[in-house]
Amino acid sequence: MTTEFEKRSQEVLEESAGRLDGRTRSRLTQARHAALAELEHPARNWWRSYVPAGAAAAVAVLAVVLWSGQSNPMKAPQAANSVEDLELLADAEAPDFADDGEDPEFYEWAVGEVES
Amino acid sequence: MTTSRALDQFLASVEKRAFKIAQLGLRNDDDALDAVQDSMMKLVQSYASRAVEEWRPLFYRILANRIRDMQRRRTVRGRIMAWLPVRDAEDDDESDPIAQAPSHDAGPARRLELDEAIGVLETAVIELPPRQQQAFLLRNFEGLDVAETASAMGCSEGSVKTHYFRALESLRAKLGDVFEGLK
Repeated sequence: MTTEFEKRSQEVLEESAGRLDGRTRSRLTQARHAALAELEHPARNWWRSYVPAGAAAAVAVLAVVLWSGQSNPMKAPQAANSVEDLELLADAEAPDFADDGEDPEFYEWAVGEVES
Repeated sequence: MTTSRALDQFLASVEKRAFKIAQLGLRNDDDALDAVQDSMMKLVQSYASRAVEEWRPLFYRILANRIRDMQRRRTVRGRIMAWLPVRDAEDDDESDPIAQAPSHDAGPARRLELDEAIGVLETAVIELPPRQQQAFLLRNFEGLDVAETASAMGCSEGSVKTHYFRALESLRAKLGDVFEGLK
């Protein structure tokens, strides 16, 4: 059973709700329309559920590209050149640089560098 | 009637009271509007296909959870902000003509009485413990029955009765005189 006090409380709160200013009422109407728009266009935002997975994939691809781009151009050619130089210097059929007589100390130093 | 139209009618019927409940719980108009908007969105997205009779307790359950989340977040933020310099209150809307528009007509004497009653009642409601406040606003203001209030609050009907009774006792002690003068 509702008491007089409960009735009065309800009336006062209803009065307060009825006095909401224009800005608040307008924003409540906008909120309602935004919610209902969600009902009418549910497919509009289907892609949002894929955003986190897509972002993670993009970051992974970027990391791989950056990592490989940083390591290959610098290291691979250097390694290949070193092997070629070593083979050239070790090859008995190769031209004998020492016989050129121009700078034998340089070639000795170079061989020492490769061996070390 | 289409679901969209039924939802529009339902949301229009509860939006002002929902705002007042959120405003009293959060003591901030913008936060209250955010809580109501989030609750409307959640109801439409997740429960539009439910029976119309279920919407009201579901909506108020969503709103109650949202208010509680925002209160908790505010408590954490308050602890952090206590370490930072104090900022001036926002006054962006001071010159907004829509915000200044009067919204309700009443005789001057009656309006004064109601002004006082609204001020005292809302202050007393704000001072209630959160669960008593919820039970009082859902039962008395929104008019949910005990079962619906229990569903909205996520507790037993017995708890609702206890919270509501204590809230009434507390408010009656503070407001008896004010309400007696109200015609």
